Amino acid sequence: MPKMVLKFEDRILREVPVSTSAVTIGRLPNNVVAIDNPAVSGQHARVIVEGGQFVVEDLNSRNGTFVNNQAVTKHVLQEGDIIRIGKHTLTFYGIGKGEAIPDTAPAGAAAAPPVQDLGGTVFLDTKSQKELLAKAKAAAQAQAQAAASAEPGTPAAQPAAPVAVPRAAAAVPTKVGVLTVVSGSTDKKQYVLETQTALVGKSDTALIRLKGWFKPQVAAAITRKGSAYMITPLAGKSQINGQPLRQGYELKPGDVLNICGVTLQFSHQE
Amino acid sequence: MRLRVAGGTDLGRKRTINEDAFACHPEIGVLVVCDGMGGEAAGEVASQLAVETISRQLNGADRWARGPSPLPTSGFLPRTRRLGAALQLSNRAIYEQARKITEQTGMGTTAVGVWIEDNLLSLAHVGDSRAYLWRHGNLERLTNDHSLVEEMLRAGLWTEEQARTSTQQSVLLRVLGREAEVDVDLAEIPMMPGDYLLLCSDGLSRMVTDEALADTITRVREPEAICQSLIAQANENGGVDNITVVVAEVCKEGFWRRLWNMLWE
Repeated sequence: MPKMVLKFEDRILREVPVSTSAVTIGRLPNNVVAIDNPAVSGQHARVIVEGGQFVVEDLNSRNGTFVNNQAVTKHVLQEGDIIRIGKHTLTFYGIGKGEAIPDTAPAGAAAAPPVQDLGGTVFLDTKSQKELLAKAKAAAQAQAQAAASAEPGTPAAQPAAPVAVPRAAAAVPTKVGVLTVVSGSTDKKQYVLETQTALVGKSDTALIRLKGWFKPQVAAAITRKGSAYMITPLAGKSQINGQPLRQGYELKPGDVLNICGVTLQFSHQE
Repeated sequence: MRLRVAGGTDLGRKRTINEDAFACHPEIGVLVVCDGMGGEAAGEVASQLAVETISRQLNGADRWARGPSPLPTSGFLPRTRRLGAALQLSNRAIYEQARKITEQTGMGTTAVGVWIEDNLLSLAHVGDSRAYLWRHGNLERLTNDHSLVEEMLRAGLWTEEQARTSTQQSVLLRVLGREAEVDVDLAEIPMMPGDYLLLCSDGLSRMVTDEALADTITRVREPEAICQSLIAQANENGGVDNITVVVAEVCKEGFWRRLWNMLWE
Protein backbone atom coordinates (compact mmCIF):
# COMPACT_ATOMS: atom_id res chain seq x y z
CA MET A 1 0.00 0.00 0.00
CA PRO A 2 1.32 3.51 -0.74
CA LYS A 3 2.62 5.31 2.28
CA MET A 4 4.43 8.35 3.57
CA VAL A 5 7.15 8.34 6.18
CA LEU A 6 6.88 11.26 8.58
CA LYS A 7 10.19 12.61 9.85
CA PHE A 8 11.24 15.49 12.05
CA GLU A 9 14.72 16.51 10.91
CA ASP A 10 16.31 13.06 10.63
CA ARG A 11 14.14 11.22 13.11
CA ILE A 12 11.41 8.91 11.75
CA LEU A 13 8.20 9.58 13.63
CA ARG A 14 5.78 7.24 11.93
CA GLU A 15 4.46 5.80 8.72
CA VAL A 16 1.24 7.08 7.26
CA PRO A 17 -0.67 4.80 4.88
CA VAL A 18 -2.06 6.69 1.90
CA SER A 19 -5.34 5.67 0.37
CA THR A 20 -8.19 7.17 -1.58
CA SER A 21 -9.55 8.93 1.47
CA ALA A 22 -7.78 12.24 1.87
CA VAL A 23 -4.80 12.40 4.20
CA THR A 24 -5.02 15.79 5.83
CA ILE A 25 -1.96 17.39 7.35
CA GLY A 26 -2.07 20.24 9.85
CA ARG A 27 -1.55 21.46 13.38
CA LEU A 28 -5.06 20.76 14.62
CA PRO A 29 -5.76 17.34 16.11
CA ASN A 30 -8.57 16.58 13.66
CA ASN A 31 -6.01 16.06 10.90
CA VAL A 32 -4.97 12.55 9.89
CA VAL A 33 -1.38 13.70 10.30
CA ALA A 34 -1.48 16.15 13.18
CA ILE A 35 1.82 18.01 13.64
CA ASP A 36 1.81 20.07 16.79
CA ASN A 37 4.25 22.77 15.72
CA PRO A 38 3.71 26.52 15.36
CA ALA A 39 5.25 26.50 11.87
CA VAL A 40 2.36 24.36 10.68
CA SER A 41 -1.03 25.84 9.84
CA GLY A 42 -4.21 24.42 11.34
CA GLN A 43 -5.22 22.90 8.00
CA HIS A 44 -1.95 22.91 6.13
CA ALA A 45 -2.10 20.51 3.22
CA ARG A 46 -3.65 17.28 2.06
CA VAL A 47 -2.84 14.27 -0.09
CA ILE A 48 -5.66 13.13 -2.34
CA VAL A 49 -6.22 10.99 -5.41
CA GLU A 50 -6.92 12.77 -8.69
CA GLY A 51 -7.14 11.02 -12.02
CA GLY A 52 -5.58 7.89 -10.59
CA GLN A 53 -2.57 9.76 -9.18
CA PHE A 54 -1.67 10.89 -5.72
CA VAL A 55 -1.57 14.64 -5.43
CA VAL A 56 -0.38 16.86 -2.60
CA GLU A 57 -2.26 20.13 -2.32
CA ASP A 58 -1.43 23.13 -0.19
CA LEU A 59 -4.45 24.49 1.67
CA ASN A 60 -3.37 28.16 1.67
CA SER A 61 -0.99 27.54 4.50
CA ARG A 62 0.91 30.42 6.02
CA ASN A 63 4.38 28.91 5.57
CA GLY A 64 3.77 26.93 2.42
CA THR A 65 4.21 23.34 1.33
CA PHE A 66 7.40 22.26 -0.40
CA VAL A 67 8.08 19.23 -2.56
CA ASN A 68 11.76 18.52 -3.10
CA ASN A 69 12.41 22.07 -1.86
CA GLN A 70 10.11 23.73 -4.42
CA ALA A 71 7.09 25.58 -3.10
CA VAL A 72 3.96 24.00 -4.55
CA THR A 73 0.24 24.61 -4.47
CA LYS A 74 -0.57 21.33 -6.17
CA HIS A 75 1.84 18.59 -7.18
CA VAL A 76 1.53 15.06 -8.55
CA LEU A 77 3.55 12.83 -6.25
CA GLN A 78 6.32 10.66 -7.65
CA GLU A 79 8.14 7.84 -5.89
CA GLY A 80 10.51 9.25 -3.28
CA ASP A 81 9.17 12.82 -3.34
CA ILE A 82 9.85 14.65 -0.11
CA ILE A 83 7.04 16.88 1.11
CA ARG A 84 8.30 19.47 3.60
CA ILE A 85 6.01 21.23 6.01
CA GLY A 86 7.87 23.42 8.49
CA LYS A 87 10.69 21.27 9.79
CA HIS A 88 8.74 18.05 9.22
CA THR A 89 9.07 15.98 6.06
CA LEU A 90 6.88 13.31 4.55
CA THR A 91 8.59 11.01 2.06
CA PHE A 92 6.18 9.45 -0.42
CA TYR A 93 6.52 5.79 -1.37
CA GLY A 94 4.05 4.98 -4.09
CA ILE A 95 2.73 1.74 -5.38
CA GLY A 96 4.85 -0.75 -7.22
CA LYS A 97 4.54 -1.29 -10.97
CA GLY A 98 1.45 -3.19 -12.02
CA GLU A 99 -0.38 -2.38 -8.83
CA ALA A 100 -3.40 -0.21 -9.19
CA ILE A 101 -4.55 2.46 -6.83
CA PRO A 102 -7.25 0.86 -4.70
CA ASP A 103 -10.78 1.81 -5.79
CA THR A 104 -12.07 1.95 -2.31
CA ALA A 105 -10.48 3.50 0.67
CA PRO A 106 -9.47 1.08 3.37
CA ALA A 107 -11.59 3.16 5.65
CA GLY A 108 -9.95 3.83 8.92
CA ALA A 109 -6.54 2.61 7.84
CA ALA A 110 -5.35 6.17 7.51
CA ALA A 111 -6.77 6.97 10.88
CA ALA A 112 -5.34 4.02 12.75
CA PRO A 113 -4.39 5.03 16.26
CA PRO A 114 -0.90 4.21 17.45
CA VAL A 115 -0.66 0.61 18.53
CA GLN A 116 1.93 -1.12 20.60
CA ASP A 117 4.07 -3.55 18.67
CA LEU A 118 5.00 -6.70 20.58
CA GLY A 119 7.23 -8.85 18.47
CA GLY A 120 5.05 -8.78 15.40
CA THR A 121 1.70 -9.18 17.10
CA VAL A 122 -0.09 -6.04 18.09
CA PHE A 123 -2.96 -5.55 20.48
CA LEU A 124 -5.49 -2.79 20.12
CA ASP A 125 -7.18 -1.96 23.42
CA THR A 126 -10.94 -1.74 23.58
CA LYS A 127 -11.03 2.05 23.63
CA SER A 128 -8.88 2.50 20.50
CA GLN A 129 -10.87 -0.25 18.79
CA LYS A 130 -14.14 1.53 19.33
CA GLU A 131 -12.68 4.79 18.07
CA LEU A 132 -11.21 3.08 15.05
CA LEU A 133 -14.41 1.29 14.15
CA ALA A 134 -16.50 4.41 14.66
CA LYS A 135 -14.14 6.37 12.40
CA ALA A 136 -14.17 3.66 9.77
CA LYS A 137 -17.95 3.51 9.81
CA ALA A 138 -18.26 7.28 9.58
CA ALA A 139 -15.79 7.34 6.71
CA ALA A 140 -17.70 4.62 4.88
CA GLN A 141 -20.98 6.42 5.41
CA ALA A 142 -19.56 9.73 4.23
CA GLN A 143 -18.29 7.98 1.16
CA ALA A 144 -21.66 6.40 0.48
CA GLN A 145 -23.41 9.71 0.88
CA ALA A 146 -20.92 11.43 -1.38
CA ALA A 147 -21.46 8.72 -3.96
CA ALA A 148 -25.22 8.95 -3.64
CA SER A 149 -25.44 12.73 -3.77
CA ALA A 150 -23.02 13.16 -6.66
CA GLU A 151 -24.83 13.78 -9.93
CA PRO A 152 -25.08 10.81 -12.22
CA GLY A 153 -22.73 11.02 -15.17
CA THR A 154 -20.03 12.77 -13.20
CA PRO A 155 -16.93 10.63 -13.25
CA ALA A 156 -16.44 11.25 -9.54
CA ALA A 157 -19.72 9.48 -8.82
CA GLN A 158 -18.09 6.08 -8.66
CA PRO A 159 -20.02 4.03 -6.18
CA ALA A 160 -18.10 3.32 -3.04
CA ALA A 161 -18.16 -0.40 -3.76
CA PRO A 162 -19.45 -2.74 -1.07
CA VAL A 163 -17.61 -0.80 1.60
CA ALA A 164 -20.53 1.29 2.69
CA VAL A 165 -23.18 -1.40 2.70
CA PRO A 166 -24.01 -2.07 6.33
CA ARG A 167 -24.94 -5.62 7.03
CA ALA A 168 -28.67 -5.84 7.41
CA ALA A 169 -29.33 -6.33 11.07
CA ALA A 170 -31.27 -9.48 11.81
CA ALA A 171 -34.58 -7.79 12.47
CA VAL A 172 -36.49 -11.03 11.93
CA PRO A 173 -37.55 -12.42 15.30
CA THR A 174 -36.01 -15.81 15.91
CA LYS A 175 -38.36 -18.74 16.13
CA VAL A 176 -38.01 -21.28 18.87
CA GLY A 177 -38.18 -24.94 17.92
CA VAL A 178 -40.27 -27.52 19.74
CA LEU A 179 -40.06 -31.31 19.70
CA THR A 180 -43.27 -33.13 20.55
CA VAL A 181 -43.07 -36.77 21.56
CA VAL A 182 -45.26 -38.92 19.29
CA SER A 183 -44.31 -42.26 20.80
CA GLY A 184 -41.64 -43.84 22.97
CA SER A 185 -40.38 -43.60 26.51
CA THR A 186 -39.07 -40.17 27.54
CA ASP A 187 -39.28 -37.99 30.64
CA LYS A 188 -41.54 -35.32 29.09
CA LYS A 189 -44.09 -35.01 26.31
CA GLN A 190 -42.73 -31.84 24.78
CA TYR A 191 -39.33 -30.19 24.67
CA VAL A 192 -38.69 -26.53 23.91
CA LEU A 193 -35.34 -26.07 22.18
CA GLU A 194 -34.21 -22.82 23.79
CA THR A 195 -30.60 -23.72 24.38
CA GLN A 196 -27.67 -23.57 21.99
CA THR A 197 -27.39 -27.33 22.00
CA ALA A 198 -29.93 -29.92 23.04
CA LEU A 199 -28.67 -33.46 23.53
CA VAL A 200 -30.78 -36.58 23.12
CA GLY A 201 -29.64 -39.60 25.11
CA LYS A 202 -29.22 -41.22 28.49
CA SER A 203 -26.62 -38.69 29.67
CA ASP A 204 -27.38 -36.38 32.62
CA THR A 205 -26.71 -33.39 30.40
CA ALA A 206 -29.28 -34.49 27.82
CA LEU A 207 -32.41 -32.37 27.42
CA ILE A 208 -34.36 -35.25 25.94
CA ARG A 209 -33.68 -38.13 28.28
CA LEU A 210 -33.96 -41.57 26.75
CA LYS A 211 -34.79 -44.41 29.11
CA GLY A 212 -33.72 -47.98 28.75
CA TRP A 213 -30.68 -50.21 29.08
CA PHE A 214 -29.51 -50.19 25.55
CA LYS A 215 -29.88 -46.51 24.79
CA PRO A 216 -26.69 -44.57 24.05
CA GLN A 217 -25.39 -41.82 26.33
CA VAL A 218 -25.79 -39.28 23.55
CA ALA A 219 -27.73 -40.39 20.50
CA ALA A 220 -28.03 -37.05 18.74
CA ALA A 221 -27.35 -33.38 19.22
CA ILE A 222 -29.58 -30.54 18.03
CA THR A 223 -27.69 -27.29 17.61
CA ARG A 224 -29.32 -23.95 17.11
CA LYS A 225 -28.30 -21.00 14.97
CA GLY A 226 -30.98 -18.35 15.28
CA SER A 227 -34.13 -19.98 13.95
CA ALA A 228 -32.27 -22.83 12.25
CA TYR A 229 -31.94 -26.16 14.02
CA MET A 230 -29.45 -28.77 12.89
CA ILE A 231 -29.59 -32.35 14.09
CA THR A 232 -26.45 -34.47 14.08
CA PRO A 233 -26.70 -38.21 14.76
CA LEU A 234 -24.00 -39.44 17.11
CA ALA A 235 -24.79 -42.99 18.19
CA GLY A 236 -27.48 -45.62 17.75
CA LYS A 237 -30.02 -45.64 14.95
CA SER A 238 -31.82 -42.46 13.96
CA GLN A 239 -34.27 -41.74 11.17
CA ILE A 240 -35.70 -38.58 9.67
CA ASN A 241 -39.05 -38.88 7.90
CA GLY A 242 -38.45 -42.60 7.57
CA GLN A 243 -34.99 -42.22 6.01
CA PRO A 244 -31.81 -43.19 7.87
CA LEU A 245 -30.12 -40.12 9.38
CA ARG A 246 -26.38 -40.33 8.82
CA GLN A 247 -25.29 -36.71 8.56
CA GLY A 248 -26.21 -33.32 9.89
CA TYR A 249 -29.72 -32.30 8.80
CA GLU A 250 -31.55 -28.99 9.13
CA LEU A 251 -34.94 -29.54 10.72
CA LYS A 252 -38.05 -28.15 9.06
CA PRO A 253 -41.45 -27.85 10.75
CA GLY A 254 -43.34 -31.10 10.35
CA ASP A 255 -40.24 -33.32 10.20
CA VAL A 256 -40.62 -36.56 12.07
CA LEU A 257 -37.58 -37.87 13.88
CA ASN A 258 -36.99 -41.31 15.24
CA ILE A 259 -34.09 -41.53 17.66
CA CYS A 260 -33.42 -44.95 19.13
CA GLY A 261 -37.08 -45.92 19.13
CA VAL A 262 -38.46 -42.54 20.27
CA THR A 263 -40.53 -40.66 17.69
CA LEU A 264 -40.58 -36.88 17.84
CA GLN A 265 -42.09 -34.20 15.64
CA PHE A 266 -40.40 -30.86 15.06
CA SER A 267 -42.33 -27.59 14.89
CA HIS A 268 -41.90 -23.92 15.69
CA GLN A 269 -43.36 -22.48 18.85
CA GLU A 270 -46.41 -20.27 18.29
CA MET B 1 -16.37 -41.96 22.82
CA ARG B 2 -12.63 -42.27 22.41
CA LEU B 3 -10.16 -39.62 21.25
CA ARG B 4 -6.79 -40.03 19.61
CA VAL B 5 -4.85 -36.85 20.27
CA ALA B 6 -1.49 -35.48 19.20
CA GLY B 7 0.13 -32.08 19.45
CA GLY B 8 3.32 -30.40 18.38
CA THR B 9 4.98 -27.02 18.46
CA ASP B 10 7.88 -25.63 16.47
CA LEU B 11 10.00 -22.49 16.57
CA GLY B 12 9.51 -21.78 12.87
CA ARG B 13 12.29 -20.30 10.76
CA LYS B 14 12.36 -16.64 11.77
CA ARG B 15 11.88 -16.51 15.54
CA THR B 16 14.39 -17.14 18.29
CA ILE B 17 11.93 -18.01 21.04
CA ASN B 18 8.79 -20.07 20.98
CA GLU B 19 5.95 -18.06 22.50
CA ASP B 20 3.32 -20.69 21.74
CA ALA B 21 2.12 -23.21 24.28
CA PHE B 22 -0.33 -26.08 24.20
CA ALA B 23 -1.80 -28.75 26.45
CA CYS B 24 -3.56 -32.04 25.68
CA HIS B 25 -5.58 -33.89 28.31
CA PRO B 26 -7.24 -36.63 26.28
CA GLU B 27 -8.46 -38.36 29.44
CA ILE B 28 -10.85 -35.48 30.18
CA GLY B 29 -11.14 -34.32 26.57
CA VAL B 30 -9.50 -30.93 27.12
CA LEU B 31 -7.17 -29.36 24.54
CA VAL B 32 -5.70 -25.85 24.59
CA VAL B 33 -3.50 -23.83 22.22
CA CYS B 34 -2.13 -20.40 23.17
CA ASP B 35 0.02 -17.93 21.25
CA GLY B 36 1.74 -15.42 23.50
CA MET B 37 2.79 -11.86 22.78
CA GLY B 38 5.00 -9.39 24.59
CA GLY B 39 8.69 -8.66 24.23
CA GLU B 40 11.55 -10.03 26.37
CA ALA B 41 10.20 -13.56 26.59
CA ALA B 42 7.04 -12.34 28.36
CA GLY B 43 4.87 -13.81 25.63
CA GLU B 44 6.19 -17.20 26.58
CA VAL B 45 5.20 -16.60 30.18
CA ALA B 46 1.69 -15.49 29.22
CA SER B 47 0.93 -18.45 26.97
CA GLN B 48 2.34 -20.92 29.49
CA LEU B 49 0.39 -19.36 32.32
CA ALA B 50 -2.82 -19.48 30.26
CA VAL B 51 -2.37 -23.14 29.35
CA GLU B 52 -1.69 -24.03 32.99
CA THR B 53 -4.56 -22.08 34.53
CA ILE B 54 -7.05 -23.35 31.98
CA SER B 55 -5.94 -26.96 32.41
CA ARG B 56 -5.99 -26.70 36.19
CA GLN B 57 -9.45 -25.15 36.19
CA LEU B 58 -10.91 -27.95 34.14
CA ASN B 59 -9.09 -30.63 36.05
CA GLY B 60 -11.06 -29.44 39.01
CA ALA B 61 -8.15 -28.53 41.27
CA ASP B 62 -9.27 -24.92 41.39
CA ARG B 63 -12.89 -25.79 41.73
CA TRP B 64 -13.35 -23.83 44.90
CA ALA B 65 -11.21 -20.87 43.91
CA ARG B 66 -13.22 -17.69 43.53
CA GLY B 67 -13.93 -17.41 39.86
CA PRO B 68 -14.94 -14.40 37.81
CA SER B 69 -18.60 -13.56 37.47
CA PRO B 70 -20.30 -16.50 35.79
CA LEU B 71 -20.89 -16.13 32.08
CA PRO B 72 -24.42 -15.26 31.03
CA THR B 73 -26.30 -18.50 30.73
CA SER B 74 -27.25 -17.80 27.09
CA GLY B 75 -28.31 -21.35 26.45
CA PHE B 76 -24.92 -23.03 26.65
CA LEU B 77 -24.31 -26.25 28.56
CA PRO B 78 -22.72 -25.88 32.00
CA ARG B 79 -19.48 -27.40 30.80
CA THR B 80 -19.20 -24.88 27.96
CA ARG B 81 -19.72 -22.06 30.41
CA ARG B 82 -17.12 -23.56 32.70
CA LEU B 83 -14.63 -23.65 29.84
CA GLY B 84 -15.39 -20.01 29.09
CA ALA B 85 -14.97 -19.11 32.75
CA ALA B 86 -11.60 -20.90 32.76
CA LEU B 87 -10.41 -18.60 29.97
CA GLN B 88 -11.68 -15.56 31.85
CA LEU B 89 -9.95 -16.68 35.01
CA SER B 90 -6.69 -17.15 33.17
CA ASN B 91 -7.16 -13.67 31.71
CA ARG B 92 -7.29 -12.33 35.23
CA ALA B 93 -4.25 -14.35 36.31
CA ILE B 94 -2.11 -13.02 33.44
CA TYR B 95 -3.37 -9.48 33.92
CA GLU B 96 -2.53 -9.51 37.63
CA GLN B 97 0.91 -11.01 37.08
CA ALA B 98 1.73 -8.50 34.32
CA ARG B 99 0.89 -5.67 36.68
CA LYS B 100 3.11 -7.02 39.44
CA ILE B 101 6.22 -7.90 37.40
CA THR B 102 7.66 -4.98 35.45
CA GLU B 103 9.40 -7.09 32.80
CA GLN B 104 6.12 -8.74 31.98
CA THR B 105 4.08 -5.57 31.53
CA GLY B 106 1.86 -5.75 28.49
CA MET B 107 2.13 -9.47 27.98
CA GLY B 108 -0.86 -11.27 26.58
CA THR B 109 -1.88 -14.41 24.77
CA THR B 110 -4.49 -15.81 22.46
CA ALA B 111 -6.28 -18.95 23.57
CA VAL B 112 -8.41 -21.54 21.89
CA GLY B 113 -9.68 -24.24 24.22
CA VAL B 114 -12.00 -27.19 23.73
CA TRP B 115 -13.67 -29.68 26.00
CA ILE B 116 -15.01 -32.78 24.28
CA GLU B 117 -17.39 -35.01 26.18
CA ASP B 118 -20.37 -37.11 25.13
CA ASN B 119 -19.63 -36.41 21.46
CA LEU B 120 -20.14 -32.74 22.04
CA LEU B 121 -17.39 -30.20 21.51
CA SER B 122 -17.44 -27.14 23.75
CA LEU B 123 -15.31 -24.42 22.26
CA ALA B 124 -14.04 -21.15 23.73
CA HIS B 125 -11.61 -18.74 22.16
CA VAL B 126 -10.00 -15.32 22.32
CA GLY B 127 -7.62 -13.97 19.66
CA ASP B 128 -6.55 -15.41 16.34
CA SER B 129 -5.64 -18.99 17.20
CA ARG B 130 -8.12 -21.19 15.39
CA ALA B 131 -10.18 -24.36 15.59
CA TYR B 132 -11.19 -26.35 12.52
CA LEU B 133 -13.48 -29.34 12.15
CA TRP B 134 -12.77 -31.90 9.44
CA ARG B 135 -15.74 -34.11 8.49
CA HIS B 136 -15.97 -36.36 5.43
CA GLY B 137 -13.20 -34.46 3.67
CA ASN B 138 -14.64 -30.99 4.34
CA LEU B 139 -12.87 -28.56 6.59
CA GLU B 140 -14.94 -26.03 8.50
CA ARG B 141 -13.44 -23.19 10.49
CA LEU B 142 -15.14 -22.99 13.87
CA THR B 143 -13.65 -19.72 15.14
CA ASN B 144 -13.61 -16.08 14.04
CA ASP B 145 -10.28 -14.36 14.46
CA HIS B 146 -10.50 -11.45 16.86
CA SER B 147 -8.34 -9.38 14.58
CA LEU B 148 -8.78 -5.95 13.05
CA VAL B 149 -8.85 -7.45 9.57
CA GLU B 150 -11.68 -9.88 10.31
CA GLU B 151 -13.63 -7.33 12.30
CA MET B 152 -13.50 -4.88 9.37
CA LEU B 153 -14.62 -7.65 7.03
CA ARG B 154 -17.49 -8.65 9.30
CA ALA B 155 -18.59 -5.04 9.71
CA GLY B 156 -18.65 -4.83 5.90
CA LEU B 157 -16.16 -1.97 5.95
CA TRP B 158 -13.42 -3.75 4.04
CA THR B 159 -13.54 -5.98 1.00
CA GLU B 160 -11.85 -9.40 0.93
CA GLU B 161 -9.13 -7.88 -1.19
CA GLN B 162 -8.45 -5.06 1.26
CA ALA B 163 -8.38 -7.52 4.13
CA ARG B 164 -5.98 -9.82 2.33
CA THR B 165 -3.53 -7.08 1.42
CA SER B 166 -3.80 -5.05 4.62
CA THR B 167 -0.58 -4.32 6.44
CA GLN B 168 -2.41 -4.69 9.72
CA GLN B 169 -2.69 -8.50 9.75
CA SER B 170 -1.19 -8.74 13.21
CA VAL B 171 -3.51 -6.33 14.98
CA LEU B 172 -5.56 -8.28 17.52
CA LEU B 173 -8.68 -6.90 19.16
CA ARG B 174 -9.01 -9.39 21.99
CA VAL B 175 -6.35 -11.31 23.90
CA LEU B 176 -6.02 -12.77 27.37
CA GLY B 177 -4.13 -10.68 29.91
CA ARG B 178 -4.26 -7.18 28.49
CA GLU B 179 -7.45 -5.93 30.09
CA ALA B 180 -9.14 -6.79 33.37
CA GLU B 181 -12.18 -8.28 31.65
CA VAL B 182 -12.39 -10.14 28.39
CA ASP B 183 -15.23 -11.43 26.23
CA VAL B 184 -14.87 -15.09 25.36
CA ASP B 185 -16.59 -16.53 22.30
CA LEU B 186 -18.35 -19.83 22.98
CA ALA B 187 -19.73 -22.51 20.70
CA GLU B 188 -21.02 -26.07 20.89
CA ILE B 189 -20.56 -28.48 18.02
CA PRO B 190 -21.60 -32.14 17.87
CA MET B 191 -18.76 -34.46 16.90
CA MET B 192 -19.31 -37.66 14.98
CA PRO B 193 -17.02 -40.68 14.90
CA GLY B 194 -14.49 -40.11 12.13
CA ASP B 195 -14.32 -36.34 12.71
CA TYR B 196 -11.02 -34.58 13.24
CA LEU B 197 -10.54 -31.44 15.27
CA LEU B 198 -7.58 -29.20 14.58
CA LEU B 199 -6.39 -26.37 16.84
CA CYS B 200 -3.56 -24.14 15.71
CA SER B 201 -1.73 -20.87 16.20
CA ASP B 202 -1.56 -18.31 13.38
CA GLY B 203 1.94 -19.58 12.58
CA LEU B 204 0.15 -22.47 10.88
CA SER B 205 -3.00 -20.84 9.54
CA ARG B 206 -1.07 -18.03 7.85
CA MET B 207 1.48 -20.33 6.26
CA VAL B 208 -0.76 -23.19 5.13
CA THR B 209 -4.02 -22.68 3.24
CA ASP B 210 -7.29 -24.19 4.43
CA GLU B 211 -7.28 -26.44 1.35
CA ALA B 212 -3.86 -27.81 2.28
CA LEU B 213 -5.03 -28.41 5.86
CA ALA B 214 -8.05 -30.37 4.64
CA ASP B 215 -5.98 -32.27 2.15
CA THR B 216 -3.37 -33.25 4.72
CA ILE B 217 -5.97 -34.66 7.11
CA THR B 218 -7.70 -36.52 4.27
CA ARG B 219 -4.41 -38.08 3.17
CA VAL B 220 -2.70 -38.77 6.50
CA ARG B 221 -5.48 -39.64 9.00
CA GLU B 222 -3.06 -40.27 11.86
CA PRO B 223 -3.05 -37.40 14.43
CA GLU B 224 0.68 -37.53 15.20
CA ALA B 225 1.62 -37.67 11.52
CA ILE B 226 -0.83 -34.88 10.64
CA CYS B 227 0.84 -32.58 13.19
CA GLN B 228 4.32 -33.34 11.87
CA SER B 229 3.27 -32.91 8.26
CA LEU B 230 1.54 -29.57 8.91
CA ILE B 231 4.49 -28.18 10.86
CA ALA B 232 6.81 -29.21 8.02
CA GLN B 233 4.53 -27.52 5.46
CA ALA B 234 4.39 -24.29 7.48
CA ASN B 235 8.20 -24.23 7.64
CA GLU B 236 8.51 -24.94 3.93
CA ASN B 237 6.21 -22.01 3.20
CA GLY B 238 8.36 -19.62 5.21
CA GLY B 239 7.79 -20.44 8.87
CA VAL B 240 7.67 -16.76 9.85
CA ASP B 241 6.10 -17.43 13.26
CA ASN B 242 5.99 -20.17 15.86
CA ILE B 243 3.82 -23.06 14.71
CA THR B 244 1.57 -25.04 17.03
CA VAL B 245 -0.87 -27.77 16.02
CA VAL B 246 -3.12 -30.04 18.05
CA VAL B 247 -5.17 -32.72 16.31
CA ALA B 248 -7.86 -34.93 17.84
CA GLU B 249 -9.59 -37.76 16.06
CA VAL B 250 -12.95 -39.05 17.26
CA CYS B 251 -12.72 -42.83 17.04
CA LYS B 252 -15.56 -45.22 16.58
CA GLU B 253 -15.70 -47.54 19.53
CA GLY B 254 -15.42 -51.27 19.08
CA PHE B 255 -18.34 -53.62 19.68
CA TRP B 256 -17.17 -54.89 23.08
CA ARG B 257 -16.45 -51.40 24.30
CA ARG B 258 -19.95 -50.29 23.31
CA LEU B 259 -21.45 -53.29 25.04
CA TRP B 260 -19.43 -52.49 28.17
CA ASN B 261 -20.63 -48.88 28.06
CA MET B 262 -24.23 -49.96 27.70
CA LEU B 263 -24.04 -52.23 30.67
CA TRP B 264 -22.05 -50.09 33.04
CA GLU B 265 -22.66 -46.45 32.33
